[in-house]
Amino acid sequence: MPKKNTAYLSIMLVTAFMGLMLAVQFRAANRAPGGIPTDRAKEMMTELKQVNHERDNLTKEINDLTYKLNQLNKGRTEALNALNSELGKVRMLAGLVTVTGPGIEVVLDNPENGGKTTSPELSFIQDQDLLGLVNELWGSGAEAISINGQRIIATTEIRLAAPFININTTRVVPPYQVLAIGSPDSMANALELPGGLVEYYRDIGFQVTVEKHDDLTIPAYAAR
Amino acid sequence: MWVGVLLAVLGLGLGVLIGFNIPVVLPQDYAKYMSVAALAALDSVFGGIRAAMEDKFDQGIFVSGFFSNALLAAGLTYIGDRLGIDLYLAAVVAFGVRLFQNLAFIRRYLLKKKFR
Repeated sequence: MPKKNTAYLSIMLVTAFMGLMLAVQFRAANRAPGGIPTDRAKEMMTELKQVNHERDNLTKEINDLTYKLNQLNKGRTEALNALNSELGKVRMLAGLVTVTGPGIEVVLDNPENGGKTTSPELSFIQDQDLLGLVNELWGSGAEAISINGQRIIATTEIRLAAPFININTTRVVPPYQVLAIGSPDSMANALELPGGLVEYYRDIGFQVTVEKHDDLTIPAYAAR
Repeated sequence: MWVGVLLAVLGLGLGVLIGFNIPVVLPQDYAKYMSVAALAALDSVFGGIRAAMEDKFDQGIFVSGFFSNALLAAGLTYIGDRLGIDLYLAAVVAFGVRLFQNLAFIRRYLLKKKFR
């Protein structure tokens, strides 16, 4: 009888276990109606892999393009800076900005007592004299020149108008204060060369003083 | 004999009750193995019933057959999955054939017993 009892017990245990398995399986199979077939799952896995790969590639592309964009932006600001500095240079060359820096001051005045020469025309400072001075200054490295506050630019005229000299259509009177910015030494040397312009003017009888300055200010061209 | 059947039905009901009430849900990945194991278990139980009708029932053979068949079937399915072969089909066919054979035997036995 005890053997029979254990047999019944084992039968019950086994059937209970089978029932458990069946129920669990039933629930698992019913959870997702139809479930996902293994093939479909594999297909989706490969698809997922592919999409991930694609996404990685696109991320790389984004980084690449962002880098390029940054480069271009940097290039743009660089170009802008270059253009701005170019503009500044051109404005300075055109005489549209006030310039400060080291330079020389040349003051030119008529002879005190009518001069020692005979010709009255020669004893007064004429437009050619100023033109010659300006030319000499340009030639010795001047970057900006003004005469009595009139900035010399590309279209500036220096011409005799009756007894006066007109610069920028403005009448200027002696003494002529010529300011030039540039290397003071080279300009002064060029002017005071033996047999140079200053010596020639002094020979004629003009009063000429040449002074070096560390800090000169030349006004901008006043357009009218 | 009939006490055994009663106990078997009782055990089945108990197992189903537990199975439907435990909070654990079998992951989808293992459902395949479980299904083959359940088929093997079903076969073993019917084989046990058949043996009982033939008066050849042996408790050791029954219990060991039940568990080893179930585990073997699940293991075969797993190996088949790893090898890329649908090896569980072999288990399904083998146990399915045996299941129907057992059922046929039980049917014949019952019919014989009733009309003799």
